[in-house]
Amino acid sequence: MNKFGIVAIGLALIAAPVAAGNRLIVPGQPVAVAKSMLTVTPAVEWNKLGARPGRNSETWTFDGDALNDLTFYGGIEPERTLFREVSKRNKPLPRVKATMLVTDIPTLVENSYRIALDTPLFTVEGMEPMAFAGKPGIRFTYSFTRPNEDLPRKGEGRGAMIDGKLYLITFEAPRLHYFDAGVASFRQVADSAKL
Amino acid sequence: MAGWMIAAALAGAALGADASDRLAPLPPYGTAYTPTTVDERGLWQQADEAERDLRDSPAVIRDAALNAYIGKVLCRSVGEDRCRGVRVYVVRAPYFNAFMAPNGMMIVWTGALLRLRDEAELASVLGHEFGHFEMRHGLKTFRRGRTIGDIIAWTSVISPYSTLPVSLIQLHFSYSRAQETEADLMGLRYLTAAGYRPLAASRIWERLMAEEDATALGRKRRVTHHYSAGFFADHPTELARATYLRETAGADGERGDEARDAFLTAMRPWRATFLADQIKRNDFGGSEYLLGELATGHWTSDLLLTRGELYRERGNPRDLVSAAQFYQQAIDAGCTDPIAWRGLGPSLLRGQQAAAGRAALKTYLEKAPAASDRAAMAMLIGEGGVQ
Amino acid sequence: MRRGWGALAFAAALTMTATPLTAQEKTGNKPGFTLAPGTVTIVLMRPEIAVGAQSTGGAYEPNADWTDQARENLGKALAEAQGRLGNRVITHVEPVGQGAAVAHEYRALFTALADSVQTYQFFPGNRLPTKKRDDSFLWSIGSEVASLPGVQGADYALFVTTEDHYGSTGRKLLQVFAAGVAGIGVSSGVHKGYAGLIDLKTGDLVWLNADLAMGGDVRTPEGAAKRVAQLLEGFPGKPVEAPVTSVATKTAAR
Repeated sequence: MNKFGIVAIGLALIAAPVAAGNRLIVPGQPVAVAKSMLTVTPAVEWNKLGARPGRNSETWTFDGDALNDLTFYGGIEPERTLFREVSKRNKPLPRVKATMLVTDIPTLVENSYRIALDTPLFTVEGMEPMAFAGKPGIRFTYSFTRPNEDLPRKGEGRGAMIDGKLYLITFEAPRLHYFDAGVASFRQVADSAKL
Repeated sequence: MAGWMIAAALAGAALGADASDRLAPLPPYGTAYTPTTVDERGLWQQADEAERDLRDSPAVIRDAALNAYIGKVLCRSVGEDRCRGVRVYVVRAPYFNAFMAPNGMMIVWTGALLRLRDEAELASVLGHEFGHFEMRHGLKTFRRGRTIGDIIAWTSVISPYSTLPVSLIQLHFSYSRAQETEADLMGLRYLTAAGYRPLAASRIWERLMAEEDATALGRKRRVTHHYSAGFFADHPTELARATYLRETAGADGERGDEARDAFLTAMRPWRATFLADQIKRNDFGGSEYLLGELATGHWTSDLLLTRGELYRERGNPRDLVSAAQFYQQAIDAGCTDPIAWRGLGPSLLRGQQAAAGRAALKTYLEKAPAASDRAAMAMLIGEGGVQ
Repeated sequence: MRRGWGALAFAAALTMTATPLTAQEKTGNKPGFTLAPGTVTIVLMRPEIAVGAQSTGGAYEPNADWTDQARENLGKALAEAQGRLGNRVITHVEPVGQGAAVAHEYRALFTALADSVQTYQFFPGNRLPTKKRDDSFLWSIGSEVASLPGVQGADYALFVTTEDHYGSTGRKLLQVFAAGVAGIGVSSGVHKGYAGLIDLKTGDLVWLNADLAMGGDVRTPEGAAKRVAQLLEGFPGKPVEAPVTSVATKTAAR
């Protein structure tokens, strides 16, 4: 075993991701999310994951993100990506643009997921206008499958472009049982959003 | 040792001194092979499990007509003896790749179908993969150097989804250079025996290289194609490959069938889907190059429409202006797809051309009253533009 | 890599080579759940079994012979163990056509569920606050599971996953070398598995047992019996004392 091999093992250990603690979200109180001015007031308790998808985002869950995933994006600025790059060199993610219309939000989510998850199986099912945090916004639904899993998932998003920045909340879960079981709680959280 | 030297040596050995002599006739094909050694059975079992998963996977396109066409090309390419028992799976993945597992299943990615130009090229790709299978290359590679990287490459190619390296060329299963060369030459023998135009093989690699260069330029990276393979590289480099394939095809390279029309007819129902998958990859340079190649100087309305989508997706201020022009050109060229107006409207709105943008969206709503985003687009008209 | 372990575990297996020192075996039971032995029919879903070697570099090399042996041995051992508990065990008949896709989806959902239980409740490192409390083993696959083709006639469904990578000589040498010279812990061999029981009336996960360091060489009948005993550790209901008249197993209704 050469020196290169041992160094590689050492680096791998150092680079292994360490999750910051998962926190309890207490119901009934407004809470600021995604390191932004966006606040929501959940009616039931949630778990907040220590690991974040990106700088201005955070994820809540009931049973683990593979079973229910509520993610907040708080004010993603122009020229930034929706979430952390998976491989900036080889698979760069699309960026928020200052001129984006609300109808471009589902496309940004779709293309970001297609690239990050390496899946062509992402479909935006529909979209309709719906206020978000008191501003004109969009509600959209989608379906996709994660790589290395044959478990179809459903998603729903609520978002808007506010002061040139993207605010978005998504809820994703397996279409088998889990999406329907959790979507009402998501909608309540999204309806309570305030800026 | 440089790739081209290996290629020349192999070509010389197979063909005698003059590379432009006729390629050797194909060897007779034995009866069905079953794995014997421990390693091989392990590989087959993995391949069988992967095939189980593929059977039920939503990533596989099951359209009967498309599968029948590809099967027909395979059988013409390698002969009925060889193609019997091969199971072909068309997997929806927007990259160029085709692969044959040791258990006899062949996987073709839709990105390959988008990039191939005619039946001869398809035959060359399928024949190349079958060549690896006939010469049992997979097993030899597995035995020789199992690193984590190799195993990842193996499973990632079999599974419908994978974390893929960017280089289209690197997507190939990590056979050794010598094996790739053997398979290339085997593929040429199939092509020639089947009456297809042998030069098809080299042209594919030339276009793939150019697309990679375009991708790199689009991402402001250096272009990296070299002539000779580096010490650690596993494949004959693409340039070397294109060269020896062209040389081996020799003087007869241009004769033979290409069946371009048959190929395009078979792909027509799928092209819009494959193009959409490509555009959504955020690879502006590579997609521009690919669209230009598909157009070959004659921009049809569907390609103009796709170009509009590409520019709108990148979305810089000048891109939006260009996008609006392409959508309009598509419409002028006879496009009746409501998507053209659905793209034109927002491109104009985002470019501060509110009145024209609203007019285009109104046309969209008229043409697609039942669209799933009808209400959202109507809101854009009511709101009058950018948030 | 086995699909059952998901992207998270795959990444973990690649990056973390040190053997975790904390508890490696855990059982969860739905609060208040009891199972009187000898009273129920259990449908055994097709076990996910992978047996192979672990190369020096840590890569998994599948071995078909070992996997086939393991499948046969584990199948027999499972039937026997459940028989000793007095429960009637039937083997799930894989549906064809549309039913196959549904069965596939349920299998994938069960795997995601079991992974979540282990990641977010069982083993320290990433536990969720709501899952750390007493009596918080509340997990479900949804009540529609009753309509899964092939489970009609059964009360419970048993899912089993087991995976073995036998460390090669090279791997073991590396382990010794790394520990001695570089002071780095390198694991050799992977032997893990889990088993879970779903109540087919409600979809509730009434029991899950996970073990990241299992014993028993599944390539032999004795080893498989030992492995099954570990997999079924904490299975609800005590074994009956008196021998039960064995009930002939029959295939589930299509």
